[in-house]
Order: sequence, then C-alpha cells, then structure tokens
Amino acid sequence: MSEHDHKPAPMVDEVSDFEILEMAVRELAIEKGLFSAEDHRIWTEYVHTLGPTPAARLVAKAWLDPEYKKLAVADGVAASKAVGVDWVNSPPTKFGTPSDYCNLRVLEDTPTLKHVVVCTLCSCYPRPILGQSPEWYRTPNYRRRLVRWPRQVLSEFGLQLPPEVQIRVADSNQKTRYIVLPVRPAGTEGWTEDQLTEIVTRDCLIGVAVPKPGVKSNIKLPVHKAVHPVQHGHGH
Amino acid sequence: MSTKSHHDRNHHASIATGIGDPQCFKGKGGKPKFKEGDAVRIKNLPDIFYTRCQVYTRGAVGRVTKLVYESPAAEDEAWDNTEKPEWFYSVAFKQKDLWPEYSDTFSNDTVETEFCERWLEKP
Repeated sequence: MSEHDHKPAPMVDEVSDFEILEMAVRELAIEKGLFSAEDHRIWTEYVHTLGPTPAARLVAKAWLDPEYKKLAVADGVAASKAVGVDWVNSPPTKFGTPSDYCNLRVLEDTPTLKHVVVCTLCSCYPRPILGQSPEWYRTPNYRRRLVRWPRQVLSEFGLQLPPEVQIRVADSNQKTRYIVLPVRPAGTEGWTEDQLTEIVTRDCLIGVAVPKPGVKSNIKLPVHKAVHPVQHGHGH
Repeated sequence: MSTKSHHDRNHHASIATGIGDPQCFKGKGGKPKFKEGDAVRIKNLPDIFYTRCQVYTRGAVGRVTKLVYESPAAEDEAWDNTEKPEWFYSVAFKQKDLWPEYSDTFSNDTVETEFCERWLEKP
C-alpha cells in the first residue's frame, strides 16, 4: 500500500474557466432579480431528471401506430405529450426552456433518406425530450465538420451509407429542435413498444447511428488521455 | 441623473409563460412572402452585432421545405426587441451548391436549416 492511499478522493478534478464564468453570471443574475437561488435549484433538479427515454418511446410508438407517426411528423410538440413531455409546462419556467424553445420537429428517415442533427452555431439540442447533449455534440470538431463532410463524420461513428441514400444534415440554428425518426430495422417484427424503445439509443435520435436489434447502448468513442493530466496528492 | 436601468429584463418570460416560444408570436408575422417549394437565395447582408444566419449559406440558392413559425429575428431578439415578428422558413440546399468540392458520388446529399424572411430573396 502506498502512503497516498489514505487520502480521500477529490470532489472534482478541476474547476474549468466556464464553470467559474457560470457561477459569476448566475450570482449576478440572482442579484439583479432575474431569477432567485430557489428558481435555480428547482431548474437544476429538473434538468437532472431528463434523458433520452421519452424520445425513444416516441419513435417506438410511431413505428407501431401510423396515425401517431403522422402526428409526430406534423407536430412534434403535440406528439411529445403522449410520452410525458409538455414542452411549455414541464420545465419549471412554464414557458419552455430558455434556449430550447418549444418547437420540436421529428425528421422521418426513409430507406433512401437519412437525417443527422447538428447545431453549427452552438449546441442547440432538444433537452426536454432527450436530456443533456453528449460532450462530442458540443465540440467545434463535430459542429464544423458534420455540415461539410457528413459522410466522413458518420464513418467515424461506424455508420457508412451507400450513395443512393441521401444524407440530410439538419442544422438547428434558430428555434426548431430536432430528433430523428429512424427506419424500423428488420428483425423487430412482433416486438412490443418497450422492446422497440430499448434499441432507439440517443445516438439513433441524433442520427449518427441506426437502430439494430441487440444494440441498446451508444457508441463508445476512444478516449485520449490528457497530455498534462491533473495531479492529486503529490503537492504536499 | 440616475444611472439605474429601468429595462424590463423579464419581458420575454412574461409574454411566453403558459404559451411557449415561438408559439407566443403566432399570427404576428403578417403575410408570408414565400411558400413551400419556392426557390430562395440567401442574401449576403453585413452582420451587425449578432446574427444566426450561417455564412456557409450566404449567396446560395435552396428550396423552402416548410414555413416553420413566426418569431422576431434573432438579430432583433438578441436586444430584446420583439416588436416585429416575421415568418421563418426551413430551407434545404444541395451540398454541391454549398461546397463546390463536395463529392459527385454523393451529389444527392443535402443540408436543411432555418432563416427569417429578411434573409431571403427570389433567385
């Protein structure tokens, strides 16, 4: 046993500049009366309840019910209610979320059309129905390259599509937020809504993957170790 | 002279509560100038302070896929000016029309994104 082992693990590895900026802006906003500390706590708790399951269920329902699919494609906000998401009233603000707006569009794939979602300007994402975006979705690398070299980026996610499939990149630059309604895969005949929901992963809903029977998790991207990692417990 | 600002910083929340945004601007955009299927060119206007109109679309011709909602332009809303909502359009472009070097093998590929009316003109 090394002499360092008795040291408790640190709560956080590092506080980033952005976290410090967020605290500063938050405290100023509270002082100005834009919102209260209580509002902020309620909001944070709400955000932590979110995840991709409602969107996955929306897709499963649409696969099973052609009438519901029509509604989902025509009015994503109305269709969200059937999976427990009210875009206006579920967020504690009661006017939607400050940056996500209340305008979901469900993009329907076909055997010759594949949608994939990006926000080239920042990282707009349909959080009320999909939760927080993955880290890679927010990177300049994904945002800059997807719109210009979509096939290369999709290949990096393991998705290679033939030329007869049109790729349509949806860039959420204004007030619409998007999820993808992929094609129901072969081998899922007779499946229940719960079974289908399990294979509609977050990656499928963004459009960087397609659902496959047996695949219930997102792609594991390689993690590159930091060149100068943060050191703990060696400075005393 | 007082230096205290009297600007109502919760103006947006008060008009959108219980209704949602962009729903709260419904019916306020006037008569839309373009319809679904129209070809449109993205104007190449100067950016003053703030815009959400991507440079990669400027000057390109695309096709309106959908009239999506009415809202103040981001260029106005960034300053909390909600007085003149306008129609927003979803426009699809051929990748080849945005990036001349885009592969001929994949010439069917497209990009779809949104614009407010002020950025669009007849080609």
